Amino acid sequence: MGFFVDSFNILLPAFYFIVVWTYGKAFFGDAVWAKAIKSRLLISTVSFHFLYLLGRAIEFNHPPVTTIFEILSVLAFCVAFAYLIIEIRSKSGETGYFILNIAFFFQFVSSVFIRDLLEVPEILRSNFFGLHVGAALLGYAAITISAVYGFLYLMLYHQIKASNFGMIYAKLPNLETLERMSYTGFKMAFVFLGIAILVGFLWLPKTFLDVSYSDPKLVGTILLWLLYGIGIVAKRLGEWKGRKVMILSVWGFGITIFSMTVVNIFFSGFHNFY
Amino acid sequence: MNLLCVSISHHTAPLEVRERLWFSPEEIRSFLPNIRDHVSVDAAMFSTCNRTELYAFSSDEQPLEFDRLRNLLAEGKSARDIPADSFRFLTGVDAVDHLFRVASGIDSLVIGDVQILAQVKEGLFLAQEAGTSGFFLTKLFQAALRTGKRARSETRIGEGAVSVSYAAVELAEKIFDDLREKTALVIGAGEMAQLTAKHLRGKQIGTLYISNRTPERSKHLAAMVNATVIPYEQFKDHLGGVDIVIASVAAEEYVLTSPMLAEINKRRATGALFLIDIGVPRNIDPAVRKLENVFLYDLDSLNGLVHENELKRKNEIPKVNRIVGEEQSEFTVWLSGLHATPTISALSDLIESIRKEEVEKNINRFEPRDRELLNLVTKRIINKILHTPIVNLKNGSDENHSERLHTISALRKLFGIDGEKDAEHEA
Repeated sequence: MGFFVDSFNILLPAFYFIVVWTYGKAFFGDAVWAKAIKSRLLISTVSFHFLYLLGRAIEFNHPPVTTIFEILSVLAFCVAFAYLIIEIRSKSGETGYFILNIAFFFQFVSSVFIRDLLEVPEILRSNFFGLHVGAALLGYAAITISAVYGFLYLMLYHQIKASNFGMIYAKLPNLETLERMSYTGFKMAFVFLGIAILVGFLWLPKTFLDVSYSDPKLVGTILLWLLYGIGIVAKRLGEWKGRKVMILSVWGFGITIFSMTVVNIFFSGFHNFY
Repeated sequence: MNLLCVSISHHTAPLEVRERLWFSPEEIRSFLPNIRDHVSVDAAMFSTCNRTELYAFSSDEQPLEFDRLRNLLAEGKSARDIPADSFRFLTGVDAVDHLFRVASGIDSLVIGDVQILAQVKEGLFLAQEAGTSGFFLTKLFQAALRTGKRARSETRIGEGAVSVSYAAVELAEKIFDDLREKTALVIGAGEMAQLTAKHLRGKQIGTLYISNRTPERSKHLAAMVNATVIPYEQFKDHLGGVDIVIASVAAEEYVLTSPMLAEINKRRATGALFLIDIGVPRNIDPAVRKLENVFLYDLDSLNGLVHENELKRKNEIPKVNRIVGEEQSEFTVWLSGLHATPTISALSDLIESIRKEEVEKNINRFEPRDRELLNLVTKRIINKILHTPIVNLKNGSDENHSERLHTISALRKLFGIDGEKDAEHEA
């Protein structure tokens, strides 16, 4: 099993690279062969990724969410899987190149820095922990997808405004579709982060003796969740529409990455990865 | 191949000449039998605003006379005075190549024109109705239609709007997901407004309002495109509920100003507001471009889009030429296979190969002394089976040429005889 996990740890970034390259060839080069095989390549890669995560869980006897780099791999899987569902449901694969680049990046960083933890604290085997981290990861995946679609929206918005009718204009879906996709991710992020925060509030005091509600990561996540909530309310009231919400979704992703990296490593106390 | 094409098009004659030779479908229906009666040829033709083309095919060895067909065409519209240099004559493979290029849209005035394929199809339909298409022209037109369809599906020759009015609607589709859920307001009832309103209706716009200073013209356009008329003085009251505005009125001052639209944009519950200004002088204050979620396009920006699309289409021409070449060589191969000699040779080879294979498979079941006899008997059987069809094929020159081609084609299809092999035989 160890050999299998180690091999896949090396192969997965390569697989994602091939998938991204193929999607790029289909989008930018209009290659017929790339259009024909890209979805099948993605399905294979996502399946291998699932087996890899399963293999890690069996090999190290804990869910693969104990270190930031394990989390990044799960996040890469969530992003790629969520995109696959979007592609199948919308029957449109034009945006894959942009979304899957993020999955490739997450998996690449994960594969380079990941460590094998055989011993982990008992709390990381708790069901509440699984629910808390699972909801947070789904939230982060939704944030990522929302941000990519938001970014594509902003690119197309500026191209249309500037009468720049290039490749982006020709190939991306229309603004309303991009906005709808991004906003769906936006709402999902709010819901899943809400669940993660709620479970955290119920479970943390019972588990950690040094729990602090002023922990920077906790505060950051709550602020992020509030930001998404404000965005949803503002859009529902008709105060914000189109571009503003998309800008917020891109900022939300930036704050998330900051929270997962800088805040987690340098500022967080009890609420830290191993 | 005794094929002739007589063509008058935008390449050879100005509009005032072309329009004199424009045939309606009814005129084509009555004209085609007339051609057949006079020249004893199969004939098919189509006529558009940019071209009228007559294709004639004869089974005689004698070449078709250009002048005779040209005169018949001109007489059909009482236009014998049209000079000969307004016509183009093509024969054989050149005529095939020309028809394929026409069907694929690369010979059109507007490169990649989508209408021409339907017009070629109608040409075939009318000839079939008139009973003048014959086997050869039917196959030729079918191959042309296949070429046109391939050009559209395998290249981008037909993509991107190449008229200002359609470019406006195409832009709307890049902003809105489903035009059936959107509301558009057309201010003005001039030609550009009419065209854009028609395109919007063609795209099944949800609600369409027309507002014009002259109520009669509003009503006329509204009736044409199934729209609702709004009195000119009241159109501003409806701006809060519309997604698309097309302004095309003659006005000295801006009809829609930036402060007015800023105020309306604040009140609007829905997303983007798409404004098309095709008025000269301009009807909409260009400063509205700075407003969030407001997209404004004037004639210059739409012309820019049209120009870019035209360039993109031109860049696709080499790809279309490749398809035309492929289809033309396939057609030539098919045609060369329709001669009796290669068909007889291919049929004999096919049957002989089947005989050989079966004999080889079963030869060990026979005593060595009987094996020679087995070969002899099986050869005799196939020779007897093939004798009558081969004789009929060789002597079939008396029958109508079109029927003969049909018979050979059916035989080849029935036995699955590959055309390319025969071309090699011929060579």
